[in-house]
Amino acid sequence: MNLLEISNLKTHFFTEAGVVKAVDDVSFNVEKGCTLGLVGESGSGKSVTAQSVLRIVPKPGRIVDGKILFDGEDLVQKKDGEMQRYRGKRISLIFQDPTSSLNPLFTIGNQLSDIVIQHDKVKKDAAIETVIKTLKLTRLPDPEEAIRRYPHQFSGGMKQRICIARALLLNPQLLFADEPTTSLDVTIQAQIISLLKDLQKDIGMTLVMITHDMGVVAEMCKCVVVLYAGHVMEIGPIETIFEAPHPYTAALLKAVPRLDQTRKLISIPGNIPNLITPPTGCRFHPRCEYAVALCKEKKPPLEDVGGDHFISCHRWRELRRGA
Amino acid sequence: MGFVKYIIRRGIYMIPLIIGISIVSFLVMYAAGDPIQIATAGNPGITEAQRDFLRHYYGLDTPIPAQYVRWLTHFLQGDFGQSLYGGRPVNEIISFYLFETLKLQLISIFLAFFISIPAGIYSALKQRSAADYTISGISIAGVSLPVFWFGIVLIIVLSYHMGLLPSAGAYGSPKLWPVFGISDPTLDALAHLVMPVTVLTLASLAYNVRLLRAGMLEVLRQDYVMAARASGISERKVLYKYSLKNAITPLITLLGLSIGASLAGAPLTETVFSWPGLGRAYVNAVSKLDFPLIMGTTMIVAIMILVANIITDLSYAWIDPRIHID
Ligand SMILES: Nc1ncnc2c1ncn2[C@@H]1O[C@H](COP(=O)(O)OP(=O)(O)OP(=O)(O)O)[C@@H](O)[C@H]1O
Ligand code: SF4
Ligand SMILES: [Mg+2]
Repeated sequence: MNLLEISNLKTHFFTEAGVVKAVDDVSFNVEKGCTLGLVGESGSGKSVTAQSVLRIVPKPGRIVDGKILFDGEDLVQKKDGEMQRYRGKRISLIFQDPTSSLNPLFTIGNQLSDIVIQHDKVKKDAAIETVIKTLKLTRLPDPEEAIRRYPHQFSGGMKQRICIARALLLNPQLLFADEPTTSLDVTIQAQIISLLKDLQKDIGMTLVMITHDMGVVAEMCKCVVVLYAGHVMEIGPIETIFEAPHPYTAALLKAVPRLDQTRKLISIPGNIPNLITPPTGCRFHPRCEYAVALCKEKKPPLEDVGGDHFISCHRWRELRRGA
Repeated sequence: MGFVKYIIRRGIYMIPLIIGISIVSFLVMYAAGDPIQIATAGNPGITEAQRDFLRHYYGLDTPIPAQYVRWLTHFLQGDFGQSLYGGRPVNEIISFYLFETLKLQLISIFLAFFISIPAGIYSALKQRSAADYTISGISIAGVSLPVFWFGIVLIIVLSYHMGLLPSAGAYGSPKLWPVFGISDPTLDALAHLVMPVTVLTLASLAYNVRLLRAGMLEVLRQDYVMAARASGISERKVLYKYSLKNAITPLITLLGLSIGASLAGAPLTETVFSWPGLGRAYVNAVSKLDFPLIMGTTMIVAIMILVANIITDLSYAWIDPRIHID
């Protein structure tokens, strides 16, 4: 059963320079209780997709079209007040950078208990209890002491544990983890990934793992959605994706992870397209080594190639044979 | 660290500053001229011997360092001496004007501060909307209207033509003020405040609003604001708790500066509304070279500015746990 069904989602940013089509006709489903990997280069629309589901797309962006069915209800149609009750309670989001996503001026206890109070209308004491309990779940040392502290008094890894706890406070059904480890040290990254994996297993929560890192995808996800320049390139079970991928996915897999100071970046030859005037036809064609004339003219449909595998490429048949 | 220790230390640092300020103003004052000459200039019958007597009486005939030491000794005991005009104790004069100035200024400063909070948040939120432009327009009009002109227009319209509000002073009902026949002293004092407060508030509102608007625009882009929204925190709380505190520091700085400077009064506003304030009294004292009153006022203003500074610095540490005072 699908917990989330996104169909034909379009989220655009109406900037002075033009309309940035950050998410442009994206559709995919997330099966209940499973971990889905949402991958793609920087700027492909992964975060905006998550923001759209929570309906927190910042200005000047907004959802232009599409449906987001969560547990059978279309979130796009919800009123603001109704939507607010979903956020943090039924759907949560972990941000990429724990340092910037915690408010520096309030104690951990204050920030986290507010969320519990907001949703469950409980007293402060009860809320604090929930906070401590959830912090324990994320294996943060000494949670009773931690709630009295401010974010700057913790290390990056500890802060990310706090952010994970913040997302889990109210046992959400769906959790988006938006590159939760990119801003952390390599050793800490592994700890956070294994924590998320354990939590997902223990709680049986549905997890959408947004990442650059194919290694993380291989380790955690059952199913993968590959985004490029606001379009879905490929959807499929992990094994199939690694075996017979779309040219863009293949490039992603081939690209060597490059250790930047803080972020792990992948590099594929060529540049990420401008989303104000994106390439015609297949958005990947300017960088695709298999591109033919048709690719420039016509957008390839997302075709069902069997075995829950979907590909958006004019040449998938030939390429699969060739592989 | 300890707030108390910090305050004590800052207090100690103030001492040399205050003494330095007092020496400089003493010297400048003496360079400016002979107060007895000025005081007696309008009196052709006065002899040089009589002037010498006056100089001796006010202690102006001893060497400047000696005069300074005498002034300092009294100052340290909290005594600013007597005015050269009428001989009233400077302490008494200052405390009267000080109260009136503070009343007028603090009301205006805090009014501007509190109005600017919703106005600044709203215009940041609705950036480039009609409401944003309206708020900017009103506040820019407020800052660019000359106080002199605006004050006089208010007086002409509200006092002279409509007889609604008293046009001058802080108390008492002059002729233009009989409409409601108000005799209650509190109401009377409030009625006198309306126009000068309006002028002063509008004059500083623009800076407040623009500072907060700029701060909020910056803060609203931060991840922690999106994270608060993503957690389902109500919009009101996102703005007034999780954004305002992060955006308010520049406004607090302005508040501290304005409170510190407020004692010097706003001589122009005080003049237009014949307000019995320290600003006007100060200008008056300087023009007459009323040495004890000049020194007294200068010292009070300086101390107030320094104290406001310390309080402002303390409030930064109180707002932001990352700032350590030491
Ligand atoms: N607030 C905004 N204003 C204008 N454009 C935006 C805004 N937020 C995102 N975009 C645009 O939307 C596109 C997709 O951005 P998004 O953040 O979803 O990428 P991403 O896949 O999450 O990349 P990354 O891996 O770098 O996080 C980008 O081209 C970006 O420029
Ligand atoms: S459609 Fe053409 S350009 Fe796009 S991925 Fe397939 S081969 Fe490459
Ligand atoms: Mg992102």
